[in-house]
Order: sequence, then C-alpha cells, then structure tokens
Amino acid sequence: MSDQTSDQTSDQGYFDRFGGCYVAEVLRRPLEELTIAFNQAVADPGFIEELAQLGRDFIGRPTPLLYAANASREIGGAQIYIKMEGLAHTGAHKINNALAQALLAKRMGKTRIIAETGAGQHGLATAAACARLNLSCTVYMGEEDVRRQQPNVAGMELFGATVVSVDSGSKTLKDAINEAMRDWASSFADTHYIIGSALGPAPYPDMVRTFQAVIGKETDVQISERGLEVEALIACVGGGSNAIGFFAPFIRRDRPRLIGVEAGGRGSGVGQHAVRMTSAAAGDGIIHGYKSRFLVDEDGQVAPTHSISAGLDYPGIGPQLAALGESGRIEFTSATDEEALDAMRFFARHEGVVFALESAHGGAAALRIARGLPPDKVVVVNMSGRGDKDIFITSPIFRPVQWKEFLKAELHRLEAHMDTLVDMVVDSKDSSKVLGGAI
Amino acid sequence: MMRMPIRLMAHLVAGYPTDAIALAAAKGLVEGGVAYLEIQLPFSDPSADGKAIQSACAHTLARNYKLSDGFGFITRLHAAYPSVPLFIMTYGNLAFRLGIDEFVRRAQAAGASGLIIPDLPFDTDEGLAQACLRYGLTSVPVAAPSMTDTRLAQLKNTHPQFIYAALRAGITGKSTDIDQGTLDFLGRLGSSSKILGGFGIREGTQAQALAPHVHAVVAGSVFVELISSHAAAGADAVRLAVRRKVEELRAIT
Repeated sequence: MSDQTSDQTSDQGYFDRFGGCYVAEVLRRPLEELTIAFNQAVADPGFIEELAQLGRDFIGRPTPLLYAANASREIGGAQIYIKMEGLAHTGAHKINNALAQALLAKRMGKTRIIAETGAGQHGLATAAACARLNLSCTVYMGEEDVRRQQPNVAGMELFGATVVSVDSGSKTLKDAINEAMRDWASSFADTHYIIGSALGPAPYPDMVRTFQAVIGKETDVQISERGLEVEALIACVGGGSNAIGFFAPFIRRDRPRLIGVEAGGRGSGVGQHAVRMTSAAAGDGIIHGYKSRFLVDEDGQVAPTHSISAGLDYPGIGPQLAALGESGRIEFTSATDEEALDAMRFFARHEGVVFALESAHGGAAALRIARGLPPDKVVVVNMSGRGDKDIFITSPIFRPVQWKEFLKAELHRLEAHMDTLVDMVVDSKDSSKVLGGAI
Repeated sequence: MMRMPIRLMAHLVAGYPTDAIALAAAKGLVEGGVAYLEIQLPFSDPSADGKAIQSACAHTLARNYKLSDGFGFITRLHAAYPSVPLFIMTYGNLAFRLGIDEFVRRAQAAGASGLIIPDLPFDTDEGLAQACLRYGLTSVPVAAPSMTDTRLAQLKNTHPQFIYAALRAGITGKSTDIDQGTLDFLGRLGSSSKILGGFGIREGTQAQALAPHVHAVVAGSVFVELISSHAAAGADAVRLAVRRKVEELRAIT
C-alpha cells in the first residue's frame, strides 16, 4: 500500500503551502505517536492483509464500476461510468477510512474511539467499525445535522455508539470537530480520534488518503480490464476524502482530467454555498489544525455555509486538494442544490441508482461534462454514497403532499402507542443488562 | 501564618458580554491586584477552550464584534491601567488572515505586551515570534505535560521570556490537581523562562498550591463564569465579584 501512494505523501505534513500541524501543544504527542503507528501499520503485511479481508467480507469490496448506458444515451455525449462506492457497507466510502483507522487504533492499544460527523455517514461507518472491532465509540454531531440526519443517528445508536449533539457555533460539522478535538485533548491516553475527511493536522490528510485510495486503485483496475481510456474522473468535494481517494493513483499521471465538485448551494452570497476553491470569498486560513482554503470573513472568523447536503457544507477543504487545485492538476467546479436534486432524480430514473445528495453534486457535473464531449470519450463519476439516508430531505421536495400525510399518520400512530413503546425501551435496556450479567 | 500574596494572570474575553461590563470586570481584576491581564480576542472556532470561554466568545461575536473592536478594547484597558502588562490570547487564523506582521503591529499599537496563540506552535508559528521581536512584544509559547523531552528542549532552545504551561492534559475550565505529575512537568520546564501556569484554577487553595512553582498563576474560566452569572446585576456587581475572587486566589482575604 505505502509504496504505491508514497509519491503523493506530504512533505513533512505539507502539500505545497497547505497542510501542517497547527494544534495546541497538548495534541502534539498523540499526533506524533499516530504518525509513527500509521507508518508502521501500512508497512506491515499483516495489517494490510487484515484490512483487505475486512474490506472484502465486511465492507463488500470491490465495489462495482457500472456503465450508465441509459444515462449516456439520454445525454448524447461521453459515456458515463459510475463507481458504485455507495454500495459499500453503511452506504458510503466513509467505511474504508473508519475501519482502517479503527484497526490502527486497536493496534495502538486504544480502547475508545471518538469521531465527528456531518452528514452522519462517517459517524455511522465509525460506529459500525467499532461494533465490529469491539471498541467503545462516541460520535460528535452538530445539533443541526442531528436534526436533518435522524436515520443515521438511529443507525449509530443501534451500533452501540453514543451520539453527542453539539449545540455550539453553527451546530454543524465544524463545531463537531471542535468538540471532538476538546475530548481528545483530555482522553488521548486511551482514545483515538478518527477524522473522517482528508483534513485536519498531519498525519490525517496522508492517512485518510491512503485508506481511501482503495477507491481509485479499484477503479484503475476496472477501467484497464475493460480497456477504457478515461477522459475525466469526477467526484464531489466536501472535506474531500472520497475525491482524494478516487484520484490518488492518478495524481502523478498527466491524464485523466481530475474534477472536483463543490457545493454551489443556492447562490453566490455569503452563507449560500460552500465553494472554497473558486469563490472570491474564500482565502487561505489556519483552522482545525491545518492550513488550507477556507470560507472566512474579513477578520478571519469562519463564515456560514449552505448546502442541501450535510456532507458538503464544511467551510474548509483538505490541504492536498487545495494544493492540487492551485497547481491545476485538479479542476474545480460546483453544482447547485437544484442541480444535485436533478441529477439524483435523473440517475434514479434512468439507471435505477440513487446517489446520495453529496455524490449527486458529482453526478450533476458528470452530466454537464459528458454533454460537452463526443460519444467516444469516457467519464467516471464516483458515487461516494447512496441516497437512502436523504429521504427526509428529498421527499418533502419530490412529493410534499404524500410525505406530509405519511408523517402525520406516523406521528398519530406513535402518539397512540407512546406509553407501550417507552416501556419497551426500558425493557430492552433491562434485558441487555441481564444478558450482560449472565455472560 | 503570613503568606505573600501570589502573582496572578487573569483572563477576560474582550467585549464580553458588553464593553461596559467587560471594562468593569477588568477594573475589579486590577483592584484585586492582578499582575497580568490576558485578553482573549474572540474567534468563531476556539477549539482549545472549554465551554464557558467558547460561549463567551460566541456571544460576543454574535453582537457583530470585530477584530478592530477587540484592539479598541485593549487600547482602552491599556490607557486605564498602563502599569498592568496586557497579553493578547487568540487563535492563529485571526492573526494569519490580517497578516502576522500587521497583527503584531496593531497589538503593539494597542498597548499589548505579548501574544499567546495556542494553535501557532513555537516551531510552526508563521513568523509570530520574529514579528514580536520587531515590535518589542513577547510571544508566549504554550507547553503541555504531554510534550516529549526532545520537543520541550527545542522549545526551551528558543529562549522565550515566558512559557504558558497548560497544566492539565485537556482544555480550560476543568479542575486542576497540583499532583506530582504537574510538579514534575514544571520541573522539566526549568527556570530560564517565567512560567505562567494555569488551566482550571478556580479556588484559592489550588492557586496557593501552585504559586510557589510558577512565576504567575493563570485563571480564566472562573472569571468568565463570574461575569456571566453577575452580568444581569450590573457592572458594579461584576466588578465586586471579580475583585473578591482575585483576592481569594491571591490569598489576601
């Protein structure tokens, strides 16, 4: 693993002028220990083998590469292929990194995992990995995200994780990161912090890219097997973990074009989008332990953002993506809320594939780019997640009347049986205690 | 038994909850006899601070408080208490965004003596220490018990005038025991720099236990909480509550 990715590794934590390790002194030591443990793990064939086995049996790797024949015909441009990463266990690419870091944490002798989550996909993946590997798990999640991503909260709790709702700041991903860093500052002796995106202080950007590079490596094999000459790889970019993992094996090659898609939201004004690479409102900053491009105000305070997808509204971008964006190796574009919804509907209708709203930003850009290319060209879009989790966001838009009736009926039903249901919650807790005691 | 009153560095969030209350709190701190004032310029994402200070910063920013308001606050404090050294505490992005040199220049113009920026560590400080030298300020690096001997030696090699010792493996706002581990850490810091020791000091007994081992004891969250709980009763109530706490911490009651 390490030899194939080493040429993309940072220079002492830096990717050109981005990256670094700008953390309070207390966190320096756990980060240094993590760097050493990570480097040893990826050089250890035993670790790589265990990870590959779990990847196959638990995650469901390799994920397929689907030729979107109908969509391509409909568009009449380049041939579109979809890397079906959303078929990975727990519904998104996040599990690749979460499982690998959880395995690394075990190797380091840690017994507790903390994580931040935005859309909830990283939290869900981490909770599943912890359940599988017998690690205690606490997930920090902004109150706003808890509200709009209840299905993932329910999933995390089912896996036995404690979900902490963060009510500070903008109550989204960035605030969950602050809270997780606070926890880690006093708990690192027995706790590992699994950052879910390719950002944060070194060694996280290198580590997350390395663990997500499996997406790109599989894609590389799959396109070679089919003899495809790919014009462009396209991925959505929040923090950027799916994009950097998808692009990783191709970064040092001249081709294909690598295209990152940010959240255009609902307009270009402050607080209406999360466009860090092409927006005039974005600039260099040092936040959350790393230097990159951030959406900040003139004083340097973190600016509000918006995206219909909870996974793309983070104000910063992974430092390697920022560097590759500036060098020109990665081209950046954006897709609006509306375009993402349209793309989600389009691929569902024509391919029977439901993109997560995050990934649908990549899907929207793929449609746009394919339209401008001749039919003998090929583009591959990474569907980083599947859209089941978004039903509470998409249903009120796609079918508001029916959804309202459904929710009303459900609420009625729930209220009618509330007493019995609450008793059942207590009973099930008691029975798990009895079971635990008996064992 | 007679005890010498201890040297205290007290922390305030600039402009919290209002300029008038914050200035009254500063007055109480000075009347109580603090040796240093640490003034925090609020940042939107203060990840090295605990809940109390984070909330105070968020509250202040929510009233559209600008960096220039913060420098203005420090200018007024310095004019009122020219003999009390003022240290600005903030996060790297505010200084980085304005430009490190310009930030330090404005800090100096406002009357600050030094800067404490915990997420600009001494070896990746973006030129902060150099800029401080240019303007005659002191850059105060933070040290923590988790530091390796190697890293601590590197820090001491920069010969800082002050070192801010973060005494608990954690964040501000939780209680601190003056245990053997803490004493060992202070021993490792040596005596060539003046040690500002804090994080979680709330009571006189803690301050007095720590005082013999440091140049000054730092207290922060305890004052922010007092200001929050007395603000509704008015500026004078805040001033008196803060002064009483300083006197308790300094052991001169």
